[in-house]
Amino acid sequence: MRIVIIGNGVAGIEAALVVRQREPSWEITIVSEESDHFFSRTALMWVVSGQLSQRCIEPHERDLYARMELTRVRARAVGLDTEGRRVLLAGDLDPVPYDRLLIACGSRPRPGPWPGADLPGVGHFVTMQDLEWLETELHGGPSHGGRPPRPDAHLAHTTEGSPYRPRPSLFGARGRPRAPAVIGGGLIGIEAAEVMVAAGLRPRFFIREEWFWPIAIDEAESTWVADRMREHGVDVRLEENVEALEGDDHVERVITDRGEYECDHCVVAIGVIPNTDWLGASDGEGRPRGEAPALDDGGGIVVDAGLATSADDVFAAGDCASVPWFDGSRRPEQLWYTARAQGRVAGRRLLGDRVAYDRGVWFNSAKLMDVEYTTAGWVNLNLEDERNWFFEERGAVRSTTRIVLSGERVVGFNLLGRRWDHAVLMRWIEEHRSLGWVLDHLAEASFDTELVPPLVIPEEARRRPPAGPAPSKIDPPKAAPRFMG
Amino acid sequence: MDLQGQNGLETTFREGWRSRNWLAWIVAVVLIAFYVDLYFTDHLQPVAEALGLRSKWFVYAALYTLAMAGGAVYYLRKHGNSRYNRWRIATNLAVQSVLAFTLPFVAPLFFSPSPSDDWKYEYFAASIWPLDWYSMHPSVLGSIPLILALFTIVSAFVIAPMAAYFFGKRWYCSWVCGCGALANTAGDPWRHLTATSTRSWKFEKAAIYPIMFLAIGSTFLLILDAVADLGGFWHQVISGGDWWSMKSLYGLVVASILAGVVGVGLYPLFGARVWCRNFCPMAALLGLQQKLGRFRIAVKPDMCISCGNCTTYCEMGIDVRSYAQANESFTRASCVGCGMCAHVCPRGVLRLENVKNVQRDKARVRLPVVDL
Repeated sequence: MRIVIIGNGVAGIEAALVVRQREPSWEITIVSEESDHFFSRTALMWVVSGQLSQRCIEPHERDLYARMELTRVRARAVGLDTEGRRVLLAGDLDPVPYDRLLIACGSRPRPGPWPGADLPGVGHFVTMQDLEWLETELHGGPSHGGRPPRPDAHLAHTTEGSPYRPRPSLFGARGRPRAPAVIGGGLIGIEAAEVMVAAGLRPRFFIREEWFWPIAIDEAESTWVADRMREHGVDVRLEENVEALEGDDHVERVITDRGEYECDHCVVAIGVIPNTDWLGASDGEGRPRGEAPALDDGGGIVVDAGLATSADDVFAAGDCASVPWFDGSRRPEQLWYTARAQGRVAGRRLLGDRVAYDRGVWFNSAKLMDVEYTTAGWVNLNLEDERNWFFEERGAVRSTTRIVLSGERVVGFNLLGRRWDHAVLMRWIEEHRSLGWVLDHLAEASFDTELVPPLVIPEEARRRPPAGPAPSKIDPPKAAPRFMG
Repeated sequence: MDLQGQNGLETTFREGWRSRNWLAWIVAVVLIAFYVDLYFTDHLQPVAEALGLRSKWFVYAALYTLAMAGGAVYYLRKHGNSRYNRWRIATNLAVQSVLAFTLPFVAPLFFSPSPSDDWKYEYFAASIWPLDWYSMHPSVLGSIPLILALFTIVSAFVIAPMAAYFFGKRWYCSWVCGCGALANTAGDPWRHLTATSTRSWKFEKAAIYPIMFLAIGSTFLLILDAVADLGGFWHQVISGGDWWSMKSLYGLVVASILAGVVGVGLYPLFGARVWCRNFCPMAALLGLQQKLGRFRIAVKPDMCISCGNCTTYCEMGIDVRSYAQANESFTRASCVGCGMCAHVCPRGVLRLENVKNVQRDKARVRLPVVDL
């Protein structure tokens, strides 16, 4: 059996390891343009600042591919021949035949829609090559940890418009940036701002929305994070729409609906889109052969609950897969955790098992500047009968606790500043617990480090009735979450 | 205000002196030269006399305490936002300045006149056998005040194993021990240089357990020699004054070369726990007791992003990430419980804890699969 996996990221590697664990003799080939070695994409920011080296963010020893007998092809896939069951590659490489195929090629940065978004000095922070660009922009080059081996091995086998092409830096002409900017109020944006702070710079952070990261946190929570950013020297500019980037031969100004700002370095972090523009049906000479997997409106590969695409024996997992959601809609889940989980399910599918992907109760975590964030369940969804109980702690420890109710039942948690065991919170959601019960037992879910004083909620705050829905920027779900039944 | 976890980003790999550049090599050479001079010459003796100190070891203790205090300032500026780190480093400093420096200094006031000519008041209460290998020698036990001899025995055979059972070996290696305290203060800038490869782990196992058996076995022989009065040839081999006797060789190889010259001299090149990880017999013994005890590092299931901060900043070279991404709470014999893995984890996945039933929730992994 010949297994081919497109993508050397977390979904692809998890799938490969699941297959290898059970089938020692199957041929497994991993096609990746970006990198020889699987690395943690969520850890790129620490490599820029110098907290980690390139080698540190690789979760396995580098002999993994030899030990697990995984063949690697370092090239861009340019098309799929589903009739002849071959993956077509850029350059002069022979197509790779498959019996079962997994597409786990991830996301690419969403390009800025404004004039000047492609000026030199403007870039993104998603790929390994973005990392190289940003390190050179801010520091003049890599840290003492060095570059990964063969950083440019794919350049003979790539195409125009690939997100993995190296981007030239302005550092040689400009030196360190004086007026850096970040556009886009999400997680990649705050990470870019943070690595600029670590490099000794004071970035401007343009956020279109009323507050930072409204998809996940509410105004009170977000205001605290924005305060932390400002304390670290970030100029947080809320409700400011970028209209253009200007400059002669490189970026010099950011024009917004509120003014004009000097800018000699800019990271555009307005989200990611499925990395599927290569996925046309082709026989390598531009003529379609066989039906390519169907895509949704956003470019995500449409998959069923078993991660199967519309093409025979072709599966998709991770950021590029558009999976069905509880409310009947479909969209990609662009998270490390879901990519890893989908990769494991995809591995079972490649083995021929009849299994379905079931994410269960939602959970996520992040670190916003230096404020830790944990969420579980259904938060910021504007449910019809939603109420929010909120408590802000300001003492030896600062934290916020938001518990979301649907009717009398606790359905979600948004927690900042303290550490929590999300597995316990998820169990409470599944057990239909009430607010009073949860508040009585909250200490059991604490995951604070030792010697941290416990969270104490005064009686007066406990009795406070939950308010209405938290203002949210996303549309309410079309149907009630499945677990509510 | 306390923030959990790391506050601000480190720039470790962008600092040459922390990345084995020429400056790091110079610091290593200077440290090695200092330790060779300290152990094998008497150049510091006149310095001690000029300062009114009883021996060169008090000069060394003073320098040691100063280095630790300077390192503590460096460490707390970076990581002092965490209570665990604050309390731990404060305890280190208190133990060093009171038990290791002041007490031996003022001991003549309490035990005067000296109970025997052999005893020079150099009793370090925080150094426990088998780290302080000499302390269990019959000749030493016989020459110090009875109360201290009893404390030596009780601390080695009752207090240390019991505390390791309840709190893990961290109670000693990270809170009390002078070697660990120096490593976590003056040595902290280089903690990420500890090797994490499988090879380094194999070397660790092949080095530390033989030394542990050597320390225990040689102490047994010394006691046997004293109790059974072997005399003659065997007495010469075990505890004679010649350089080739077991007693002299252990002192030379383990106590001087491995603990001092290699242990501290290699800080800037291989991290601050070279001695603790690979050679310390006390760490080996406490590690085995820790495996049987209540200490563990708990892992929150499915929350790891495999970033590698924990593995990189583990000073003992433990691949913490491999456990975190496998959802496996764990107890490793080598873990000294410094708490840095939990501190640098950006998702709060790790927690040091003492629990009664260490295996209680190993099987709570959630699989995102429905079998059809």
